[in-house]
Amino acid sequence: MPDDFILKIENLNKSFGGVKATSNVNYKMKSGELSAIIGPNGAGKSTFFNLLTGFHRVDSGSVFYKGRDITNWHPHSIARLGIARAFQVSNIYHTLTAYENIRQAILTQQKKTLNFFTPARKLAERETMELLDTIGLHEQAHVTAGNLSQGDKKRLELALALGCRPDLLFLDEPTAGMSAEETHDTMMLVKKLNMELGLTILFTEHDMSVVFGYAQRLTVLHLGAIISEGTPAEVRADENVQKVYLGVEP
Amino acid sequence: MNNKKKLLWIAAIFAAALILPLIIGEFWVHIAIQILIMGLFATSFNMIFGYMGQLSFGHAAYFGIGAYATGLLIVKASIPLHFSLAASMIVAGLSAVVFGYFCVRLTGIYFAILTLAFGQLIFYIVFQWYSFTGGDDGLQGVVPPDFLFSAYSYYYFTLIIVTAALIVMWMIGESPFGYTMRSIRDNDSRTRFLGINVRAYMHVNFIIASMFAGLAGGLFGPFNRSIAPDLLSWHHSGIPVFMAVIGGSRSFFGPFLGCIIYTFLMAFITGFTQYWPLVIGTIIILVVLFAPGGILGILESRIKALLSWKGIDEIGKKTDDESY
Amino acid sequence: MDISLIIAQFMSGISHGMMLFLIAAGLSLIFGVMNILNFAHASLWLVGAYLSYTFWYILQDYSIAMWLSIVLTTLSMGVIGMIIEIVLIRRIYNRDLSEQLLLTYGLILVIGDGIKIIWGVDNKLIPRPEIVATPIDFFGIPFDSYFIFVILTGLSVTFFLWWFLKKTRYGHIIRAAVYSREMVSALGIPIPRIYTGVFAMGIAIAGLAGAIQAPIGSITLGMDMSVVVQAFCVVVIGGFGSLLGTFVGALIVGEVYAFSILLWPQGALIFIFLVTAFILIVRPWGLFGTPMRK
Repeated sequence: MPDDFILKIENLNKSFGGVKATSNVNYKMKSGELSAIIGPNGAGKSTFFNLLTGFHRVDSGSVFYKGRDITNWHPHSIARLGIARAFQVSNIYHTLTAYENIRQAILTQQKKTLNFFTPARKLAERETMELLDTIGLHEQAHVTAGNLSQGDKKRLELALALGCRPDLLFLDEPTAGMSAEETHDTMMLVKKLNMELGLTILFTEHDMSVVFGYAQRLTVLHLGAIISEGTPAEVRADENVQKVYLGVEP
Repeated sequence: MNNKKKLLWIAAIFAAALILPLIIGEFWVHIAIQILIMGLFATSFNMIFGYMGQLSFGHAAYFGIGAYATGLLIVKASIPLHFSLAASMIVAGLSAVVFGYFCVRLTGIYFAILTLAFGQLIFYIVFQWYSFTGGDDGLQGVVPPDFLFSAYSYYYFTLIIVTAALIVMWMIGESPFGYTMRSIRDNDSRTRFLGINVRAYMHVNFIIASMFAGLAGGLFGPFNRSIAPDLLSWHHSGIPVFMAVIGGSRSFFGPFLGCIIYTFLMAFITGFTQYWPLVIGTIIILVVLFAPGGILGILESRIKALLSWKGIDEIGKKTDDESY
Repeated sequence: MDISLIIAQFMSGISHGMMLFLIAAGLSLIFGVMNILNFAHASLWLVGAYLSYTFWYILQDYSIAMWLSIVLTTLSMGVIGMIIEIVLIRRIYNRDLSEQLLLTYGLILVIGDGIKIIWGVDNKLIPRPEIVATPIDFFGIPFDSYFIFVILTGLSVTFFLWWFLKKTRYGHIIRAAVYSREMVSALGIPIPRIYTGVFAMGIAIAGLAGAIQAPIGSITLGMDMSVVVQAFCVVVIGGFGSLLGTFVGALIVGEVYAFSILLWPQGALIFIFLVTAFILIVRPWGLFGTPMRK
């Protein structure tokens, strides 16, 4: 029976030289969810994303996407299925313009990158401009990405992930380094993508106001293991979570 | 510079290249042919270096393979030149299919060393295989067909082929594939997460670059009338590296410009000393020490300094549209 | 093929491997510590060989001429290495890989012609002193006694380097500099001086290798070309920056060379490349190096 989970993770484990970075993690996501993973520094959030997107090999356990076993697939094969990610530290093309950055993502998604003879500037013009508008980088379209402001780089980072037209989107600290206003704009956009396009989104965040304000469901990682899961209110009330975050015995 | 202006410039240069032999003597026509062939070689090298961001120190192997393919077909089988040139591209490309498969698994310094090691491997095979390649005696009597026998006709023949090859390489550079190469150069990991099989794309690019190196090699044999295994050695692989660095690897025509500078220097210096390696070695060292970014870089900053001295400081801001 | 031939070939492989180790050790040390790949390393090895010829030529009336020329060459090459580091290498620490390789490539061209100008195009040979001139009996097999000297020198240098890097204060500083330049310079130790020392030491060892190469066969122009690529293979097989790896890699290449000469004399280098390529594909970071990726 095909279940309606878009992402299903079973007994996932990963160690680096004896240190457990992911410990027996089981996790499920329904299509259309907007959820967050939180945890103190070193809790294993980035490792978790790296395992799901094929950057690290898993030690044991399985990852299913739309019922399909994608454990240890290559990153590019996973991306082709419609899973995109945006990185915590902006991971963009520094010598290309913002426009060219986004166009690269779109051309890849449209499977046009093995075209050798059509000038790239004549392709995907409309889609690229649309995405630039969506993300609010219209005016900086022809600025070399390396010269953009920190906030704009982060937005471009998000745009690269969106250019892949994903069904499932991982955002690693999407608002890190942004001003309060930029944070608000970005999270509103994330929410809009979730509501209007039905995008399934999983994000990590250190800013608790963002987490509690936008996530429908929270999962708390600590030392590579899930210690709590539920609605924001439930997690807030969880004694384990208070112990980890506040270091107090309730 | 907008595209129309650029096209106009290119057309003007091509027209100048067409009437050039009418003005200069035969010695300089030989130099011009050499510039065309080595310029093609350097531009093909820059597909790997400038566009893909990897430094090959074995690119001469594919130039040499192309040279030997054409040379052997002409000497041993009397195959017409245009067929043997196609064969040069194919043989160089097939070799790149094999060797490139391994090279693209590595990056940075390891890529440089592996391309060097494979280049030397091919060099030693050619060097030792007396019965087939003539070993270190090289291959003599690589003569072009009668209608291309004079330097002037061979110049026009080379001009047409090199121009066509440059146009194709330019188109590839501007295509989505070319931009994918820039993406890999800038950030291979991000490119992977967009859904590109980075190794496979690098391999394809390596093969294409090697085919054009093979074409350049194929043109070289009948021009030089003989072929020596030295053409494959890593000494010869260093030449396009120098051309690209001196002319600028971040623009399409940079390596070609570097080739013009290099060839003129050589023609000039070998005129009065036999110690050409000493002189060019010194020049290479001085350029690296005092002119990082190449001659173009220096000219650019000089012009900028001159303009800003006159009070135009806008020029400094306009660097983005020229870098690709 | 009888057993004595195999043993003889094995020993000559070890001797060739030791020679390669002496060249590759400096190459690997310089790369490991300074992150500079010195293309011209084998060219400096060849300069050492020619220099030792000159020293020997001046001193040839004395019975210890060859031994003394080895010592003098090692010391002078150390000084030459120091000068090269201060004048050239120091300026390219933070440059692109292409510019670093290009500079040392330029150095090869200059050195090649420089040798031609100073020593001419004729081959040079240093005759061996009596003690290492005649073959000795090695389990019933005649074995070149000079090779014993080469092997002992190689082993001494290996031991010296191991002791120097692991047991002395300078060695500790050098190894610390590999991991964090900032930390070492924050402790008030001048990084440029460490680099100059490391480079000089690497070149001195290459000079030593050149000097003991001279009495093996005649020295010729262009010898450095096949050697530098073999040294690269050694370092790549062993893993950059690993002393043990360089030692093992040198023995592997030496033995592959010695035995492929038996099978196919012209193809020795081709076998070495095939082994190198194979190891690079299976373990891109070499036998004893550390992986670049997770």
